[in-house]
Amino acid sequence: MDIGQHLIRGHLITLRRFLLTFWVDIRAGRGLKRRGGGTFWFDFFDRNGEKPPTVTQDAKTAGVFTVEYPDERLPVYERFRVLPVLIYDQEDGYVRCTCCNICAKVCPPQCIWMSKAETHHGEPYPQPREFFIDMDVCMNCGLCSEYCPFDAIKMDQNFELSNYERHQTHVYGLQDLLVSSEYYSKTHPQAWESDEEIAERNKVAKKKQQRLQKGLTPPAAPAAAASKPAAPKPVGV
Amino acid sequence: MTTASIYRPEWSTTIDPVLQKELEQHVLVTNWPKFLDMIDTFYNWGRRSSLWPLGFGLACCAIEMICTASSRFDIARFGAEVFRGSPRQADVMIVSGTVTKTMMPMIARLYDQMPEPKYVISMGACATGGGPFKEGYNVVSGIDKYLPVDVYIPGCPPTPQALLNGVIMLQKKIDGEKGSLLLPGREKEMRTPWYQEALDREVPVPVLGPDLIDLRLLEATAEKTAMGLMEAHEANLPKPPKIPAPQPEVAAVESSAAPAAAAPKAPSKIDLIRAKSQAATATDGEPAAAPAEPAAKPAAKPGAKKPKKAEAKPTLVWLGDEGLKQLSDRLDQKFGGGTSTIVQAGLLIPAAKLIDVCLYLRDENVIRYDYLASLQSVHYEDCIEVNYQLDSTIDPGKVIELRVRVNEAEGQGELPSVVSIWRGADFQEREVYDMMGIQFTGHPELKRILMWDGYAYFPLRKDFLEPYYEGPTKVFDSRVEDGRHFRAEEINPYGTNLKVPKDYNDWKSLVAADDTKGKNFLPSGVEISELDTDQFIISMGPQHPSTHGVFRMNLRVDGETIVGLKPVMGYMHRNHEKIGERNTFLMNFPFTDRLDYLTSMGNNFGYALAVEQLMGDDAKPPERAEYIRVIMAELTRIASHMWSIGFLLNDLGAFFTPALYAIEERELILDLFEWAAGSRMMCNYFRFGGVAFDLPPGWVERCHGIVFDRLDGKIDELDHYLSRNEIVMDRCRGIGVLSREDAINYSTAGPVLRASGVAYDVRRAAPYSIYDRFDFNVITGSKGDLYDRYYVRLVEMRESVKILKQALRDLPDGPILPGKKSYQIKVPAGEAYSRVENPKGELGYYVVADGSSTAYRYHVRSPSFINLTALERMCLGHTVADVVGILGSLDIVLGEVDR
Repeated sequence: MDIGQHLIRGHLITLRRFLLTFWVDIRAGRGLKRRGGGTFWFDFFDRNGEKPPTVTQDAKTAGVFTVEYPDERLPVYERFRVLPVLIYDQEDGYVRCTCCNICAKVCPPQCIWMSKAETHHGEPYPQPREFFIDMDVCMNCGLCSEYCPFDAIKMDQNFELSNYERHQTHVYGLQDLLVSSEYYSKTHPQAWESDEEIAERNKVAKKKQQRLQKGLTPPAAPAAAASKPAAPKPVGV
Repeated sequence: MTTASIYRPEWSTTIDPVLQKELEQHVLVTNWPKFLDMIDTFYNWGRRSSLWPLGFGLACCAIEMICTASSRFDIARFGAEVFRGSPRQADVMIVSGTVTKTMMPMIARLYDQMPEPKYVISMGACATGGGPFKEGYNVVSGIDKYLPVDVYIPGCPPTPQALLNGVIMLQKKIDGEKGSLLLPGREKEMRTPWYQEALDREVPVPVLGPDLIDLRLLEATAEKTAMGLMEAHEANLPKPPKIPAPQPEVAAVESSAAPAAAAPKAPSKIDLIRAKSQAATATDGEPAAAPAEPAAKPAAKPGAKKPKKAEAKPTLVWLGDEGLKQLSDRLDQKFGGGTSTIVQAGLLIPAAKLIDVCLYLRDENVIRYDYLASLQSVHYEDCIEVNYQLDSTIDPGKVIELRVRVNEAEGQGELPSVVSIWRGADFQEREVYDMMGIQFTGHPELKRILMWDGYAYFPLRKDFLEPYYEGPTKVFDSRVEDGRHFRAEEINPYGTNLKVPKDYNDWKSLVAADDTKGKNFLPSGVEISELDTDQFIISMGPQHPSTHGVFRMNLRVDGETIVGLKPVMGYMHRNHEKIGERNTFLMNFPFTDRLDYLTSMGNNFGYALAVEQLMGDDAKPPERAEYIRVIMAELTRIASHMWSIGFLLNDLGAFFTPALYAIEERELILDLFEWAAGSRMMCNYFRFGGVAFDLPPGWVERCHGIVFDRLDGKIDELDHYLSRNEIVMDRCRGIGVLSREDAINYSTAGPVLRASGVAYDVRRAAPYSIYDRFDFNVITGSKGDLYDRYYVRLVEMRESVKILKQALRDLPDGPILPGKKSYQIKVPAGEAYSRVENPKGELGYYVVADGSSTAYRYHVRSPSFINLTALERMCLGHTVADVVGILGSLDIVLGEVDR
């Protein structure tokens, strides 16, 4: 048998592929230019906060397959999920979460824990007082955001979370979890524009309006108004 | 202080004194230590740019770590591509995945063997803090309990980009290190740990005793154990309920005492079942089901919580009520009355007659039940039931279920082993022994398989409470108190995932170097008389680049010839089933992702089918959902086979180049998954009765492009490069031959079974979902050697592309769920066993529901695990190098082997 012939062939295949990747890139006009930005082969200076370009690869991808993180990135798909975040409305700081506990009920590894806020009369008030997510337990499954009826908990897409310490930092409290609705509308444009979320937003806006009207109208029955605080302060914002 | 030149005033500059001080401190080299610090900078730069990671992966995260090393992410750009097989040559340990108690001694040892300076990256939630499996009894709650960790990467799993981010963080940390190089005149101020003599960086290797014992805490542990803190703690906890075992439908009192009397009543029983099945198919079946209920619910079943019951059938495609009745009658005739009683569409056999019945079923019955599909056990209130799902490879799709019941008390159950009839029962019986404590008489080697000998408990028994046990079902009570959140560790009296029985007092026997897990599995081997050589035992794994994870083989070699082989597993046992019994049905979905983490869509599929079988028509997926499911499952198959072929070549010595080519295609498929489901690997995409989300706009077009324009060409390319390649042929032909009979008898599944010439594919044998609509071939090999297994996978990818093309062409519009999405899943009581043809083979889910929100019993028939039964058979007589290839051709994934 022609011993060794196939070994050389294997090497040739690899070589061909190696050359081809560059050939494809040169033909595509990329040449040896770094796709990650910068004009020279190396970046000597920081790119002044310029966002690294994303590289989408699909059926037609040929040439160099490498996506040079951190100078360039893979696209972040809208449904991409890392850790959950809580959303507050940009306009008025209203925390959407009503502390209904559904996210904690569907959480498979049980990493969501919360307690309800109270009014100054000691009645439970539908807002979270504390909200904890143990990200050392969270399995990024997204069930919490999927089943949240108030669009309050959503999956964040920030995956660059490496750090040097875990005991103080890896249990996220309410302050760590809150993000604005504006941020959310940017990370999840399609979901933001979806009918369900628009309807939910309208519902909440209407409720807010009603509450505002109620607060603005002079108290007809002072006794009733005293027991129900008209314009409740959102807790924890 | 301002300095001005006295000679040329125009040269003089005024420097801000603060700036000057800053400059002197940080930039200007003004003295000797400063100069040395500057050397540090370069030295650190050199070190951080050539981090050599230990080629060491534990679980799902390891796959992402390998992807990071592949061409798309290319960790070589950070100088860290040299994954070293030996800890002696590595300086960073990426702890990628769940750290189990069984594996922890090995990890500590590996760490100790690494030379200084050494770093540890804790990748993913599991390594960092136990992750989703934290509550399991075999999981270490964070590697930092033992090793000093430098960088934590959250995520489950972190994407390759997140890992790269972690590597950058580590580089930053190294950049900041001062005094990392010993230079003359600086001995006093060596600030890095490896120059501090007082600091002992050696980690004591923990011991596998009654549990994983940290020797540093031995005394405290012994003290707490003697105080019985755990028992006191558990006394206040609600215990998991036990339900009684299902009884024969007609008059439970009679059936065991007078089975002959039960026989004439049979027609009415069948009628009842029929009535029930019709009731289940009808949407408003309540009135029809009602008359059946009283008969099915004798006084012995007070525990049944909900009147609604699932249709009784062992699996989706099975023998049928009529056939089962006839079979039962035949058995009764042959072996005397009382041999078989029909219980919930399964045959209840007395333990004493089990072997006779099994032999009859295999050799004499009309349908030869030659294939033991699955074997599992359920702990009921009054007994432990072991049940066997049997199928015939000659006449597939006629599944029956045998039930045998034994004494429930711990260590009392005893049962004849069926290993002599179906060798495939070997590991499964050992697993039942390990988890439930049932003795199988006649089993050649009945030892613990997933846990270690000496572990104090039988974990799947209902009366075993794990160290972090909080309640029988989720949702747990709140863990927020006075504005503070407490972790699971604070609940356990030991403060860690540890539980030791109170009466344990053999503390002195715990020695650090003891290999409790592996030393009992030394292969006896065959003597070769003509060769006058010594035989050696080699332990290969669990940390070995070629074992596809933390798998271990104890080899007995004569020269280089394998004369004995014993697989040692359980290093990745993360208690999937125990956790699954506490999870609600919905919660199990993301956990199934982590079984065979290369094929999460397929795992979802199987689990969805099992519960949908129980739910009946409530959860019938709409057309579009069915098509999406098939598309996802077939894409998974291609991705998995690509990976498998690439790494088979890796095992054969063609290091990484073929794998790189194959991983590229897999990456493109993972992109599709990420786009549709939200995660590359842990898709969590299926729901009962459909899928979680509809396909995003543009998805179908890209998928279409990949399937129609790319995959065929790439598969051809692989075929062209590899199939006729001299190395592949020389290393694969005639190696690891598994004969047709053996393949069936060993219960192998998937490409391994088909490579041996058995055309058994669950998609054809017992069609599920809409696979009966597609035109595809079942690929079989002829010789059953390594080459055939490789080639079957390759051609199967073509068939998958064929199915994908049809499915994409026919993909209809419409809803993706039958009703409104809800987290409250109502699953009627009953049992179901679902089978799907996963890329690795037949994946089965055995679910017993008791009408509550959680599964009473949840078992996974994992193809990787059972395929391993045949490993020794295939390896005998070959060389160590071939063992690597044979193992690669089995394509195991440790998440599924050990669950």
